[in-house]
Amino acid sequence: MKILVVDDEGIVLLSCRRILEAEGFEVQAAPSVDEALALLDAPGAPLPSLLLVDVKMPVHDGMYLMRQVKAKHPQLPIVVMSGYPTDETVENAAIFGAATFIAKPFTPGELLDTVLSVARKGNKP
Amino acid sequence: MFTSIRSKLIASLLGVTLLVGAVSLWTGVHLLKKHVIGEAANRVALDLNAGSEMIQERIRLIRTALNITSLGSGFVGSVEAADPNDLAYRLSRLAHHAKLDFAGILGTDGNILSRLGPNAKIQRIPAENPIGRMALERQSSVEGIVVLTREMLLHEDPELAERARIAIPDLGAEAAAAAEATSGLALAAAVPIFEGSRVVGVLYGGQLLNRDETLVDMVRNRLSQGESYKGRPIATATVFLNDLRIATNVTLPDGRRAVGTRVSAEVKAAVLDQGRRWSGRAWVLSDWYITAYEPLEDIFGRRVGMFYVGTLEAKYTDILTRALTVFILITGAGMIVALGFGVLLANRIMGPVHRLIKASRQVSEGSLTPDVGPIKEGEFGRLQKTFLEMVAAVGRRRAASEDRIIQSEKQASVGRLAAGVAHEINNPLTGVLTYTHMLLRRKDLNTEMRADLETIAAATERVRKIVKGLLDFSRQTKLDPEPTDINRLVGATVGLLENQALVKGVAVKFMAGENLPMVTLDRSQMQSVLMNLIINALDATPPGGQIKIFTAPALSGDGAVHKGVEITVADTGSGIPAEHMDKLFDPFFTTKAVGQGTGLGLSVSQGIVQRHQGHIRVQSEMGKGTRFFVWLPIEGTGGKS
Repeated sequence: MKILVVDDEGIVLLSCRRILEAEGFEVQAAPSVDEALALLDAPGAPLPSLLLVDVKMPVHDGMYLMRQVKAKHPQLPIVVMSGYPTDETVENAAIFGAATFIAKPFTPGELLDTVLSVARKGNKP
Repeated sequence: MFTSIRSKLIASLLGVTLLVGAVSLWTGVHLLKKHVIGEAANRVALDLNAGSEMIQERIRLIRTALNITSLGSGFVGSVEAADPNDLAYRLSRLAHHAKLDFAGILGTDGNILSRLGPNAKIQRIPAENPIGRMALERQSSVEGIVVLTREMLLHEDPELAERARIAIPDLGAEAAAAAEATSGLALAAAVPIFEGSRVVGVLYGGQLLNRDETLVDMVRNRLSQGESYKGRPIATATVFLNDLRIATNVTLPDGRRAVGTRVSAEVKAAVLDQGRRWSGRAWVLSDWYITAYEPLEDIFGRRVGMFYVGTLEAKYTDILTRALTVFILITGAGMIVALGFGVLLANRIMGPVHRLIKASRQVSEGSLTPDVGPIKEGEFGRLQKTFLEMVAAVGRRRAASEDRIIQSEKQASVGRLAAGVAHEINNPLTGVLTYTHMLLRRKDLNTEMRADLETIAAATERVRKIVKGLLDFSRQTKLDPEPTDINRLVGATVGLLENQALVKGVAVKFMAGENLPMVTLDRSQMQSVLMNLIINALDATPPGGQIKIFTAPALSGDGAVHKGVEITVADTGSGIPAEHMDKLFDPFFTTKAVGQGTGLGLSVSQGIVQRHQGHIRVQSEMGKGTRFFVWLPIEGTGGKS
């Protein structure tokens, strides 16, 4: 199972990779929205099963990425993470089709619980 | 100009003085006039009576003198004998003693036996003498006033006729009445002369009043009683033949007696034509007099003349003028006093007012301790005190609103800081949490390493909580208000914390107020406020203590009158030290042990209550407990619009 993690913070990317790979997931990491879109649009590359996206990023933010992804791949589940979860962020995330929301910082257990629950739902359409 | 209180005050004082002065002046003059002039008129009327009495007295004297002569020894014999020498002698003696102008004796045939004057010797001719004839006809004595025509006078004595002739200054106009000017008015009497019961003749005599100054001057002197006005006796008397002055001491402007002048038509009509007494103010030749006139009737009952007595009005008008002057002076002096008094009073009143105006200016320039001067007695003192209280209240209110602004600025800046910090910290924190937990998963850790890692994990967990608290604080989420039953909300909140209180051994009592209106509020946020207050109370209250929660309708306590509801959380805990009271609502202020509280609870609660347009107050007494009051407005009346 492949998961695409998008965050401008290297330590977050590293952390997610560490947690998820330890659980046997295949992790792709993108430090910006543009790179994430490039990875998704790369010809021949298989789509990830889940997208883990930060909200606040320079140039294009997570909301922009979600709009793009949902337009092309409406079935792809997205988990939104944020270090500054306001009501507005959470609402927007839901509007743009996020499956769920996780507040940073999180423990490995919390991230895994979130990802697994979304993945299970994704497996049962 | 008359808008200032000072000039109004002075003007009204002056007005009142003027009014009082004018009224007393009017009343005084009126009363004086009534009394002085009235008194003078009464006096003149009495004088007239006295004058008339004097005339009657004269007439009686004439008759008495005649009687005495007629009873003189040998007189009857002389009459019967028609002894001209003896009779002439007796008549001249009589005339001398009784001051008679004319006298004579008639025989029973009506002829003259003897008389005074150059015609004494003309005897045995009929007498042209009405009074003598009347006495002869009636066979009894007659006395009174008689009019003697020029013929009669010539008959008696040509000198008398000459004396009676009075030049009339305005002859031209009164030519028709010229004849009268030659007649005489006389006081006369006639007594029959008896021989036994037989009348043998009539003795007559009289005084001609024309140009006779003695009578009028005597009357005047008696009435004046020595009083004079500008060298003139104040009283005057006049005898009129018809309306013509024939004997008078009324003078013309040149000082001559006004003999030959006439009375006014008004008096003439009243006295001569209607036979009334006339009294009142009258213009006599050249002055105003207070006068009285009386008709004179002759022995036939005809109105043949008038008798007048008058007093110069000038004397009385002088008294009036003097009184008027005194009154005006008093009023003037009163007005000056009123002016001075008004200025003084105005200064006394306006001084403090100006001081207060200055003080108000000081306040508007920012001073909260204006100088209102010494506090006075009475209303002004109350005004000063009220002013100072008002300034103090404004000061307090301003301080309160400044506090509120500072408080919310504090919260806002802390909020911004918290948001920035949280965002920045949360990313590395994710790394710390991740790797600590990943390390802890390893099975090959020795006990010491595991313990160290767990310490890191716990500390990181604390950091996470602090950051979360900061975020909650900074978030200031929008209100989601809905009409709420306060008692249900408080009851539910208390229910949530009952177990916790039970464990600590603190009794929690909720006393729901009755008839509370519905309040529109964000239930979950208000619940967190209540939870925060109750948890604080629990923390402060030792086991065995008590927490009471009340709800009640209340007006806002900040000076304005808004309706609302107050929730009180009272504990019997340790109380809050005075030096902590003003920091209580500051973010990060906490007295709890490190790790036990973030110091954001009350700050967040205050933010929430303020966003409901309410306020939180606190009262505390060391060792006895603390009361928190949360006041919330009823929507529509309490909310600031």
